[in-house]
Amino acid sequence: MSTAGFNSQNGTGPGQAYSNGPSQNPVAIQQLPGVSYGMTHQPPYNPMQAKAPVAPGPGLYHSGYPPVSSYQPGPQLASYSTPPGQPLLTRPQIAGPPLHTPPQSASPSPGPRMPLAQATPPPPAVSSSSYYSNLQQPQPNAQPWQYNPVPAPMGTPPPPNSMSSPPRGPVANHLNPPSSSTAPPPPPSSSTAYSLPQQAYGSHSVTQPPGPGIPPTSLHGYNQPGVAPPPMNPAVSLSYSMVRPTYGPPPTGPPLSGPPPTMKPTPATGPPLANVIPPPLKADGTIAGNGPQSSNSYNHVDNKMGGLPPPGPPGRHLSHYPSLPPGYQNTAAPHKPTAPVHPAMQAAPQPYSQANQPYQQPHSGPGQAQLSPSLAALSLQSSSPEALRVVNLLQDRNLLPPTSVPAPTPCLPHDLQKVNCSPEVFRCTLTSIPQTQSLLNKAKMPLGLLLHPFKDLSQLPVVTSSTIVRCRSCRTYINPFVSFLDQRKWTCNLCYRVNDVPEEFMYNPVSRSYGEPHKRPEVQNATIEFIASSEYMLRPPQPAVYLFILDVSHNAVETGYLNVFCQSLLDNINALPGDSRTKIGFITFDSTIHFYNLQEGLSQPQMLIVSDIEDIFLPTPDSLLVNLNECKELVQDLLKSLPTLFEKTMETQSALGSALQAAFKLLSPTGGRMSVFQTQLPNLGVGALQSREDPNQRASAKDIQHLSPATDFYKKLALDCSGQHIAVDLFLLSSRYCDLASLGCISRYSAGSVHYYPSYHQQHNPAQVERFQKDLKRYLTRKIGFEAVMRIRCTKGLSIHTFHGNFFVRSTDLLSLPNVNPDAGFAVQMSIEENLNDMQVVSFQAALLYTSSKGERRIRVHTLCLPVVNSLSDIFAGADMQAMTGLLACMAVDRSVSASLSDARDALTNAAIDSLSSYRHSVLTIQQPGLLSPACLRLFPLYVLALLKQKAFRTGTSTRLDERVFAMCQLKYQPLAYAMLMIHPALYRIDDLTDEGALNINDRTIPQPRVLQLSAENLSTEAAFLMDAGTVMYLRVGKNCNPIFLNQVLGVPSYAAVPDNLYLLPELDTAESQRTRAFIGWLKDQRPFFPTLHVIRDESQLKPSFMQNLIEDRTESALSYYEFLLHLQQQISK
Amino acid sequence: MIYLTMIARVVDGLPLAASIQEDEQSLRDLQQYQSQAKQLCRKLNAHSPDRCTLEAGDMNFHYLIAQGMCYLCLCEDSFPKKMAFAYLEDLSNEFYDQYGRKAHAATRPYSFIEFDTYIQKTKKTYVDSRARRALGSINTELQDVQRIMVANIEEVLQRGEALSAIDTRASNLSTLSKKYRSNASYLNTRSTYAKVAALAVFFITLIVYLRFWWL
Repeated sequence: MSTAGFNSQNGTGPGQAYSNGPSQNPVAIQQLPGVSYGMTHQPPYNPMQAKAPVAPGPGLYHSGYPPVSSYQPGPQLASYSTPPGQPLLTRPQIAGPPLHTPPQSASPSPGPRMPLAQATPPPPAVSSSSYYSNLQQPQPNAQPWQYNPVPAPMGTPPPPNSMSSPPRGPVANHLNPPSSSTAPPPPPSSSTAYSLPQQAYGSHSVTQPPGPGIPPTSLHGYNQPGVAPPPMNPAVSLSYSMVRPTYGPPPTGPPLSGPPPTMKPTPATGPPLANVIPPPLKADGTIAGNGPQSSNSYNHVDNKMGGLPPPGPPGRHLSHYPSLPPGYQNTAAPHKPTAPVHPAMQAAPQPYSQANQPYQQPHSGPGQAQLSPSLAALSLQSSSPEALRVVNLLQDRNLLPPTSVPAPTPCLPHDLQKVNCSPEVFRCTLTSIPQTQSLLNKAKMPLGLLLHPFKDLSQLPVVTSSTIVRCRSCRTYINPFVSFLDQRKWTCNLCYRVNDVPEEFMYNPVSRSYGEPHKRPEVQNATIEFIASSEYMLRPPQPAVYLFILDVSHNAVETGYLNVFCQSLLDNINALPGDSRTKIGFITFDSTIHFYNLQEGLSQPQMLIVSDIEDIFLPTPDSLLVNLNECKELVQDLLKSLPTLFEKTMETQSALGSALQAAFKLLSPTGGRMSVFQTQLPNLGVGALQSREDPNQRASAKDIQHLSPATDFYKKLALDCSGQHIAVDLFLLSSRYCDLASLGCISRYSAGSVHYYPSYHQQHNPAQVERFQKDLKRYLTRKIGFEAVMRIRCTKGLSIHTFHGNFFVRSTDLLSLPNVNPDAGFAVQMSIEENLNDMQVVSFQAALLYTSSKGERRIRVHTLCLPVVNSLSDIFAGADMQAMTGLLACMAVDRSVSASLSDARDALTNAAIDSLSSYRHSVLTIQQPGLLSPACLRLFPLYVLALLKQKAFRTGTSTRLDERVFAMCQLKYQPLAYAMLMIHPALYRIDDLTDEGALNINDRTIPQPRVLQLSAENLSTEAAFLMDAGTVMYLRVGKNCNPIFLNQVLGVPSYAAVPDNLYLLPELDTAESQRTRAFIGWLKDQRPFFPTLHVIRDESQLKPSFMQNLIEDRTESALSYYEFLLHLQQQISK
Repeated sequence: MIYLTMIARVVDGLPLAASIQEDEQSLRDLQQYQSQAKQLCRKLNAHSPDRCTLEAGDMNFHYLIAQGMCYLCLCEDSFPKKMAFAYLEDLSNEFYDQYGRKAHAATRPYSFIEFDTYIQKTKKTYVDSRARRALGSINTELQDVQRIMVANIEEVLQRGEALSAIDTRASNLSTLSKKYRSNASYLNTRSTYAKVAALAVFFITLIVYLRFWWL
């Protein structure tokens, strides 16, 4: 049945799309058995393990290796650090000898591995002893850390919130105007080799360097004479889609000054010419993606070629370093001369360009070994001062950055980081990957990835090519982090297999040059999309198919959602993504199932009622799902009449299960999207549910029951749907209990989404109505991908073991996503199976194969590259507290479903305790009193506390079960940026907005107030505050609020006149009103869903929910932030 | 009943448009037929016959090559051949009208998948038995169906394989015979040596006998 469909989906031809070799993908082997449903299996070590506070058991990330005291955080690293304040100019890939990390080639180098050998298998001591040995009394006034107003971390990307700005922030895919076109002069003190600056800068690929006593070196003997062609006009958009017809010089195109690139080596005459290198071809054309729907221009400018240090006299440099292992000398040693060891060269402005990278990469087989010291140097030099700055959490209260928290930048060489994947798409909890599992266990932080793979991108290079270049053994797509051995060979960065470069890949459509495979867009962009060839399709691409299943029982009609739905669909019917094949259908249900015959030629829609809900069948199979373009009038007729059709219905029952079965039958031949609108508990036929919630127990219950589904009907149906490429999106509009825990399964396993509108009513709850309307608009018009599969690969040695999100795990690492939408996030947990001794960097690749709504099969590939470190302090320096929080939230959701909520809460607390205690005991050399944390983790305890007080995990407060379950769904499904707002809302004071520091977007001035701590002490009665909690915003007006604000923004004369249910700011023509609305509008624009805005006063009903979001304050059932910190400190120093 | 329709470029077998009959029963084996259809399109070349019917179990593939495009459909074997070719003819005319030149420049598989809508509509008129009768009367003199070549899909797909199998067998045979020849000559020489040795022994004994006893 469907399995066959999926398996062969992955390719039948020679270019098997997603099939891995039997033993090549580490994940495939190390996956636990019984994974098939993806959500429940436990990792080999369980980070979410609860640690009973009384009897401290093993720690969270602990699998039996105690911390090793003899560990030294690599003193030799310090010697490679460049003086602070210098730009990151050193050329780290080749900066040093393989000091402590031997290359991945097989030859053993005993010296470097020594410390690791100590670190790995010490006798398993009792782990808890090492955590709780160091008893320290809290001394509040011990060390007066002076207040430090949170300097921005290095390489601050643009504020992550700005979706309107090109979201690929640090990924240098934009123009780099100053350095793009002109080659900088050679560095002043470059020793030799610069006699031919025009041709020779950036050189390292020496063809047969005649240096004395050097073995013949270059694996890649390609040189290109001639001057670099001038940069093309960035506005030129050349679409490169065809197989290159001939190999000659480019047919048309911008003039290449100098001789056309040829493959002929330059005749090396004389010493100066010996160092001739290929001139950098400036590849800054604009590629228009030729896909009709996302023709994103790909502005590609880089080439700050000037930064390349010249190859110095090899002999001299060799003497600088400890001798290489003999096995490496052939290849690595001769390249080392390019290491920027001269201080003068470091001082010279030498930015690295990504275009250089392929030239450097020939080293990176064995040469990668040389990366590590410089990487370490980088991390010591740049990130440690800030990220590892010790913060005493009990002393420094004001740790929130003034705007949103930026993602940490991995400590990679600049040229790698420049092409790295955007943190908004691909994020790792530890931006520095520990070398071994024992090191990871010692750090006690979760290791995992957070993905937002189908995010709407403002620019995305699209490649059409008849051959998609992939590794032959692990099927990795070629990416910027592979290394080219020479022009014809490349080494996979995930499995290290050497592959051939296909002939077609030699031609670069961007620069229209031949023989530069490393300048192809695939090798220049970490995020790229391929148009798939027919090997990637098992069947012809399916059309966009939308089926709407509407609840029309009395309860549903009462809420009045049908009007809103029909009106929204009518408004957006032309904006539904699709082509001329788009199909649409409707099913309504109460205690019976109603189908609508919309066949072309009918004068009006026919309603067909099937009352046999036990054995459902389709009355007229071929006219229920109709072509939208041909039958648009009928569809519009139906939508206009539908709300009135059921106005008088008295039917109260709901046969949702049968309606879903019918819909499944209708969609199974094609696949597509099912949108289910449900307003009550299904209580008839298959899949009927019973109310499981006892409202009286909401607050008092010791532990929350009924978080798991009551029946497996919905899960089974979802799996059937998944097999037929059907996704089910659930819209739940109900004031009563609907058992979302059971119903939600239908969406979770079919990669759908869940939308919940509690107490929806057209009259009583206008805010909810507006939210539903706006969400529906976005839902109907957003991009969609059909029959998708996603696979996440990672470098050999790492393994992915648990996935979070909405999908079905088809095989060990293949996620089946019947639909994929731009608002879906995913998370995975990883472990380190083999030591990563030999590697300086590891890579992760997520490949999403989908059919666009236009019927194109496309593959979107994201590749993330991260450094490997071997010292705990480096691991801590690279910790990403937001990503950790997001991953912990996913793990805690699993935990509370599989075990219990209190378990999950304990585990969350322990996660904070463990990471801080590990930091205190393993990293800090001087033991200071207080609760110490590295600066990069300074908000982690706060986030953990926020999670504990989040709807999903809170106790003691009356929380409706559905809302709790929905919050859990959200935490697992939302991309990190949105989930963080749900976890830790942002609070702004908005009655005194000024233009100071304001953003200017599209001629709109958007004020940027400071983010305040979520504490009542920041609230004053004289001001107005805006709390942004993701799906809801509260505008709290203080009792003595500035009358100007009341007047100019809210349009009311006094505080008493503020209406109770104000949810829209009046559009007043005053500066204050404009500022406020611009700010709120800007916040709303940054998320795909629509947040409702409530203006509340002290007496408002919603005030309690506002107050519950003040996380740092004490509530009757939960600790305040300070108390929580004290609790942590107590546990740590125990 | 027409289960599968596919339009592909003959030069490289690139599928340009396709349509599958969408009902539950027919889905089961369709995967296999689809891959057969894809293979078939890849096997076709300029020298293939213009019209051909290929038997595949209880199904028939009918294909027609026009303007460098291959129009292929999969029907039950009870479906009239005449009707199938009329259908393909219809498709080819419409496809050429709509896409004509563009089809030769397409690079992406299923570039003209939107043609599916037309295919489905046409299919309906041909499959519908009432409409079929009407059509049939119009198209009586349509083509001489008898002349259309009939072959088996397996044969077509495996023709190359069978040839190569024969080839390997033949080469096996030749190597074996070579081995046999060398073995035979080896045996011959051995037996010759044996005979010579036996003669030699006889004569030596004779000489010895004559030398010591006779004298």
